[in-house]
This record gives sequence, C-alpha cells and structure tokens, in this order.
Amino acid sequence: MSAATTHARAGLRSGDFVAALRAEWTKFRTVRGWVIGIALTAALLVLFAYLTANGMHSGTCTSGPGGSPVCGSGHPFVPTGPGGEAVADSYYLVGGTLSGDGTLTARLTGLSGVTASGPANAAPSMQQTQPGLAGWSKAGIIVTAGTRPGAEYAAVLATPGHGIRFQYDYSYDTAGLAGATSARTPRWLRLTRSGNTLSAYDSRDGRRWLRIGAVRLRRLPGSARIGLFVTSPETLAGRATMATGVFDHVTLSDGRQTRAWHGQAVGERQTSFYSTLGSGSFRRAGGGLVISGSGDIAPAVTADGDTPASFLLQPLVVALLVIVVLAALCATTEYRRGLIRTTFAAIPNRTTALLAKAVVIGGAAFVAGAAAAAIAIPLGDHLMTANGNYMLPSDAATDARVILGVGVLLALSAVAALALGTIIRTTAGTVTTAIIVFVLPVVLAVPNVQAGSSSTASWLESLLRIGPAAGLAMLGALPRSAVVSYRYTLGNGYFPLAPGLGLTVLAAWALVLTLVAAALLRRRDA
Amino acid sequence: MNAALRAEWTKLRTQTSTTWLLLGALAATVGIGALAGAATHESGIVSGGDATRLSLAGIYVGQLVIAALAVTAIAEEYTTGMIRVTFSAQPRRLSVLVAKAVNLSALTAIAGLAAVAGCLLIGRLMFPADGLDPAHGYALVSLGSGGLRAAAGSVIYLILIALLALAIAGVMRDVGVSIGTVVGLLYVPPLLAQIVGGTLGEEIKRFAPMTAGLAIQHTTNVRTMPIQPWPGLAVLAGWTLAALLLAALLLKRRDA
Amino acid sequence: MSDATIEVTGLRKRFGSTLALDDMTFTVPPGRVTGFVGPNGAGKSTTIRVILGLDAPEAGSALVCGHAYSSLRHPLTQVGSLIDAAALQPSRSARNHLLWIARSQQLGPRRVDQVIELVGLTGAARRRAGGYSLGMLQRLGIASALLGDPRVLILDEPFNGMDPEGIIWVRGLLRSLAAEGRAVLVSSHLLSELQGMADELIVIGRGRVLASGSVSELLAGEPGAAGARTPRHATLEDLYLHLTAGEAQFRAGSAVQAPR
Repeated sequence: MSAATTHARAGLRSGDFVAALRAEWTKFRTVRGWVIGIALTAALLVLFAYLTANGMHSGTCTSGPGGSPVCGSGHPFVPTGPGGEAVADSYYLVGGTLSGDGTLTARLTGLSGVTASGPANAAPSMQQTQPGLAGWSKAGIIVTAGTRPGAEYAAVLATPGHGIRFQYDYSYDTAGLAGATSARTPRWLRLTRSGNTLSAYDSRDGRRWLRIGAVRLRRLPGSARIGLFVTSPETLAGRATMATGVFDHVTLSDGRQTRAWHGQAVGERQTSFYSTLGSGSFRRAGGGLVISGSGDIAPAVTADGDTPASFLLQPLVVALLVIVVLAALCATTEYRRGLIRTTFAAIPNRTTALLAKAVVIGGAAFVAGAAAAAIAIPLGDHLMTANGNYMLPSDAATDARVILGVGVLLALSAVAALALGTIIRTTAGTVTTAIIVFVLPVVLAVPNVQAGSSSTASWLESLLRIGPAAGLAMLGALPRSAVVSYRYTLGNGYFPLAPGLGLTVLAAWALVLTLVAAALLRRRDA
Repeated sequence: MNAALRAEWTKLRTQTSTTWLLLGALAATVGIGALAGAATHESGIVSGGDATRLSLAGIYVGQLVIAALAVTAIAEEYTTGMIRVTFSAQPRRLSVLVAKAVNLSALTAIAGLAAVAGCLLIGRLMFPADGLDPAHGYALVSLGSGGLRAAAGSVIYLILIALLALAIAGVMRDVGVSIGTVVGLLYVPPLLAQIVGGTLGEEIKRFAPMTAGLAIQHTTNVRTMPIQPWPGLAVLAGWTLAALLLAALLLKRRDA
Repeated sequence: MSDATIEVTGLRKRFGSTLALDDMTFTVPPGRVTGFVGPNGAGKSTTIRVILGLDAPEAGSALVCGHAYSSLRHPLTQVGSLIDAAALQPSRSARNHLLWIARSQQLGPRRVDQVIELVGLTGAARRRAGGYSLGMLQRLGIASALLGDPRVLILDEPFNGMDPEGIIWVRGLLRSLAAEGRAVLVSSHLLSELQGMADELIVIGRGRVLASGSVSELLAGEPGAAGARTPRHATLEDLYLHLTAGEAQFRAGSAVQAPR
C-alpha cells in the first residue's frame, strides 16, 4: 500500500509538471498579444538582419600616389587554407624543387628587423622605420605543396618572441628550443621529408639534434617546393614589420646543390588585409644567405572579415526588447487581476508553476530566435557577399552555434525577465528593470563591437564579461589564434569571453533570478 | 483646475513607487555618468572629447525610469479600473491630463535638476583624475561654453520625455504596451540610423526623439552634429506635443 | 433639493454587433430608494457608466440634478457613485485613496476621516487597500460615494461580498439617506437584497426597461409606469422571473437530461 502510494505520488509529481506545462502553454497561446509578440520577435529579427546586411557595403582603400587613399569596392583577397579556413600566406622564399625524399639543414645566426614608425594613418614605408620586430616574425625552413597561397606546408622556424617552432598547415604549432636567435646563440634547423611525412629538428650546435615533431601531409605532391623563408607580421599595435634572417651552413641531403635556388615573394599583394613593409629580398653573403620578408603564414585574423555577428547584433537588440517586455508581462499580468491566485489554486506547487511558465516563455523565445536566425544568417551571408563584403569562411558547427546562440540568448533573457516580474510584480518596475539590465548593455555594446575603434571603454568590456550581455559571446565567430598577436578586443569585434563562458554567465543570471523568484513565491502571499 | 492638480498630486505622492522610481532615475543617471567617466581613461589617445556630454551620459538610462514613472501615472489607472473613479470625480478629462502633466513635470524637473547637478559635480571632480583634462583635449566640465545649455537642456529633455511617455500611456492605456512603445520610440531609431547609415541615417537621427533631443548635450564640435542643440530639443518637443494632442483627443473621444 | 433626480431618456449604445442599450428611459425620484434590476448583461453597468459620463451614448441623454454629469462642477458633491469597488491602485492606503478623491472636490482630510468612520473602516484606513477583503472594498467604495455628501447616489452591486451584518447596515444606510430626501439608485441582480429596502423598481432586460413603478404597485399587478401589465406576485422574485422570462442573455441549459 505504502509502496503503491509512493509510486503514485512520484508519478503524480512528474505528471504535475507536465500538467502545469500544458496549463501554462494554453494560457500563453490563447492570449493573442503574446502569440503576436513572439511572431513579431522573429519577424523583426529577420527584417533588421536584412536591413543591416543590405546596408553594409565593403570598400578597400589603398594608398595611391601622394599618399592619398584610393578606395574601391570589393574586399581584400584572403586565401583559404587546407582546412577551408581563412589564412594569411605571404613570405619571401629562397628555394627550389624537392623531388622525393630529402633533408634540408641550415644554421640561423641572426633574426632582426624593422618596424614601421610613420604616422598611423599613412601607408607603411621603409623610409620611416625603427629597429624591432613582432613576436611572431619567422625565419626558417619550409616544405610546401606549392607557392599558391593557402597551400599545404610544414616549416621549422625561429621567432623573436617564441623560440623555435614546428608549424604546419597554418594552425598547428609545436614549440622547440626556447630563447632568441642571434650570432652568439645561433640555432640549427632541419626539416626531413620521407614520403609524405615531414619531421622537424633543432639543435644548438649542429651535432646534438632534438626532434620537435612530425606530420603526415596527405596531399603533398611528389615534387614539392623546399627552401628557406622569412616573413614578419604586424605588431600588436598594428605596425608593419620587415624581418631579416641570416642563414649559413645550408645543406641539402645527398649533396644536392642550392646554387640554382632563386628568390620569390610568395603571396605578394594578395594577402592584402594587413599591411606589409615591401615584398622582401635576398642576397648571398659568404657561404650563406641573407633573406628579408614581410607578411605571415598563419590563420587569418582580420577585422576586415565579416561574420553573422556583423549583421545580427542590431536585430538582436530589437528582438530582445520585444521578448523582454513580453516575458515581464507574462509574470506581472498574473498579479494585475489576481489571476495568480487562480493559478496557485490550480497548481499549488508554486515552484512548479514558475518553472512551467519559464519553460513555456523560454521555449517560445528560443524557437522564435533560432528560427529567425536560421533564416537571417544565410540571407545576411548572401546579401553581404553580394555587396562585396568578405565573409569569413565558417563551418557548419559555428553556424549552428550562432543560430542556437540567438535562440538561447532570447530564451535566457526571457526567463530572467519572467523571474524579475515574479520578484517585482508591477509591470512598470519589471519592464524598466529588465530593459536596463538585459537590453541597454547590449545597446551600448553593439556600436563598439563593430566600430573597429581601438579605444573601447573598459567598463563596457566588463559589462560583457560579468553582465547578462556576456551572452552575446555566443555570436562570436571571428577566428582567434594562439600564433597570431592581435588585439582580440571588443573594438576589433571580439567578445571578451568564449561562447560557452558567455552562455554560462547569462545562464547564471537567469538561474539566480529564477531561484530568488522561486524562494519569494514560496515565502510571500500570492 | 486647482482641485484636479491637488488630487493628482495626492495620488502621485501617496504612490510608493513614485519615490522609488524618482530615486532610481537619480541613481541610474548619476551612477552611469560616474561609470562612464571612470572607465573612459583608455581613450586618452582620442583628443578633443566632450567631457560635459560624457558626464551626462546617464540620462540615456535615467530617462527610461522617468518614462516608467510617467507611464504608471496614467496606464495603471486603466489597468486597475480606477480611471472611472477619477473621471467620475473630475468629468473634465482634459484637466485630469493637464494636472497629471503638470505634477509629473514638476517632479521630473526636481529629480532632473538633482541628477544633472550630481552628474556635473562627479564629472568635474572625477574626470581630471582619469586623464580627461585639458592636456588631453578635454575641456573641464563646467557651466561655461555650452555647459549651461547642456545642463538645463538635459533637465528639459527629461521633462519632455516624461510628457511623451505620459501621452503614449494615455493612448495605449496599458503599462507594458506603453513602456514597450516608449522604449521602441527612443532606442530603436538610433539603431536603425546605424543600420542604414549614410544620409538616411543622418536624417533619422535628425528626426528621432532621442537622438534629436540629446543634441542639447553637445558642447564641442556642435557644428558637425546632424542637428543643432536647440532645434534638436524642439524636434523632441514636437513629438511630445503631437503625442499629447493625440492623447487628449482620444481621452475625450473614447469611453473610459 | 427639489431636482435631486436622475432622468434617463432614450439611451442607445452598441458594442460591436450587440445592442447594449436600446431606448433606455427612466426617472429616479428624490427621497426614494430605487432598485435597478435585470439579468447579467441587461445593461445596468453600461447605463450607470453613461449616467456618469464615462461612456458616450449614441443617442439619448442622461441628466443628474438636471444637468449632464460632465458639466457638473465638483460632481461628487452632487452625485456619489460606486461602480467597481476593486478599481483602485492596490499599493495605496484606503485613507490616501479617499484623500485624492477629496482633493479633486476641494474637500479636506477632515471629511475623509468622517466618511471612514461612517463606514466603519477607521481601524484599517492606513493599510494598503490591495489587502482588503471584498466586503471592506465595498465599504471603501461606499465611503468614496458619500465623500461629497451628494444629493444623488448611484451604487452598482453594493452588496457583493458583504457579510449579513454589512448587508443590513447598507440597507439601513440607504434608507436613511433616502429619508433625507436624496435620490438613491441601487443596482442588483439579487431581488432578495432589495426586498424591504427599495421603494421603486426599474426592471430592465436587453437594454430596455421592462417595467418600472413602486414596489407595491408592481406586486399588486397594477399597470406600471412603463405600461407592462403584470399579474399578482407574492414576492419580488416571482415578479422578476416573470418579467425577465426570455430576456436573459445568459441562462443555464435546462437540467441534466435524464438517461433513457
């Protein structure tokens, strides 16, 4: 008997929630204003995304004669790497053809260079420079499938700031010997091809070698390019640099000669989304080679590329406004005419009633947001591309994350506003508070995310870190890379938090408010 | 009229939310101003900022609280049905609207004066320490050179926003819908202007209530603004007047 | 005091497709308690709202003390009314609720305290009105109706939610107010509440007057003022059911059908 009772009660409890859910759903869908509100949210999101994307035209400006900028439509060329990602691929190569297996060894006795120091708004030129390099300037040995930008490659290289590295296919990076390279602390580098496998070694003295790593490049042709390369990216402050590497003891295995090698600026004037200090050069000195280069071989990190966030942020503000007001009303209208007493008479467990309401309004907001984003993203992509903007390539997982992110953002904000309404109970107070806490930070953040300004107020960054606006991070789709020094700031379009963390912060807000609301519901008289 | 004024004043005075909303508006305005100032030190690179306008940035948020107060003052009467008691006590509905407007304006003026004074004081005391000083191209926060216009204009701006919200609530007769409409009318046009950009964007900024009205806060680079300070405030006044006329008309026409 | 009357002539009003008031005509005399009865949806509240200038009729006129309500200066000093006792902002105290109404008629807090005592709410006057029971709200509503010491009183369903003691009190109060020469119009859908209190009766259905006259006349089957000839009835209830047969908008279906 008692077992049966327990069973029945447990069953009743989950059944209770389903019943409460159905009750709240019926309540929700039978008020025409709410259904219209949800539909309006989705419609406004798509409409504003359309307007935003349609209004964004890309133009690139290059330095014309006399230093005055010449602007044209279209976007800079961004190569696509082996994994479909946007990459930077420009460097100065001195090398030749490698047929079959082989090993290239070289000693690097110097890595120095210059940084542009002219006015920030003028095109960088070698006439105005000062000594200094970027942390990720590179000089070393490379084996590449070809000189077409975006080709598969593997390289062992020295950097001023990060020691010796073994890198391949733009994104992959392994550390070798630490420390800077100079005449007093030269570095020996070696890259061996055996079939499709490339192995990298480094050494302080050319006798004791350490293997850094190896990789199998599946699409490396039998006849690949091999040689020495130098390249140098912008500094953190956005200044172009030119690096110079001094190589000697250059030996190819099997006594093959390097005499026939020639110099070549790879990707020159093609990877133009960031500035370089010329295309590079080389000269022979003694038995060695002095090579200068400017550019980078790395994932493309650029403020010039667009993502769905470029056209979804303003629409999101509008959608948030509607959904937050809607959710607040969902709670406060219950109190207006004492409907809440009927609700609690029907669903005596007040937490259940609140949760059911949260699931209904959150679910409706999620569906509206995700559905609208699923329409808006391809639409915006299409319009932006047609207007000559460069959309950064994105994978299905990122697209799905952004689509779900829009839905989750609306849903959690709605749940939080519902909880606020349950706490405050008056419409005016709730709607005002909800808008100030959940919408205005987003309103304030949006222009700064897109302005590309270097001076974003730090308080805004903190709002996007600890405030509900942290959830915007779910829309972040700009690539980050550990091997590229860049200001990953709000001003350059980067949210301060990773998507998952941003979601967590927003969810924490919704959760805390819901817990407070549930506690007050139990404590207070209806 | 005198009786209507006193009745409406008693209503406002005895509504607990009035005090809270006024204090909230004050706190939001001054607080945001302090925050904005405290955190803008990074942009010392950008020269020639408008420190007075920056110190008044809190109006952007505070206006919403004032609007909520105004909306409550009329829409809640419809929500509860008390409007029928009001109109049976005072069948001249226009005097009810005018009485509400007068009382609300007075309260907003007091709260607005306090908020603006607080903002300017904070700006004057805090900003130089953050590097927002003449050496970095920021004139000190003061009532000179357009500062008085910005300060007095901000108070007038708040009053106009309160009256606009009151009128919208008189038309919509529902707290939630009214606040939603006010928020949409204030905050969406700037977004739209940003979206469409170009001359159309400038045009929107020139005629939208918030962007036009807040032009009064500019003390530097006034010439390059989409709309000049006083004409901007006049645009907002136009919106408010139109909304009040519509509310008055509907108040007379519709059944209570 | 001779013109303390309500005169309603030919009121018409339509809500969408339903005709709420259809040539509604009656007069409420001074010095009497007039019952205003009819089924739900008959038009009682609409009529009262039109009298108070809250709703505008499409045709006809409603005069109180010989004037249109909207033209009265300090109307509550001439016409006191109670329409919906729950229609107030719940966070305000009862005393402050009465105070703002008093201010609108240029009355002072002294009068407020007087009516509070009159309706027996002295102990609860400073509590928020949102926490009042329905019976207390009715007392507060009656207090606001009496605030201006009016010559005409209009009360819509004042007995709703009242305890028996309260009902007896209201009856006594209204009788004594009428005895002072005031016109008192009380609407109700419960005839038993009016029996023994109302002197006159206006029975309406579907927006028009079905019968009107003094209670004794109507019970005796005399031709009423509105001309409807009615047979004798033992109680007001019988009379009412007879008059309103077929006029009710909402009526439950006849009892559960017997199983075959």
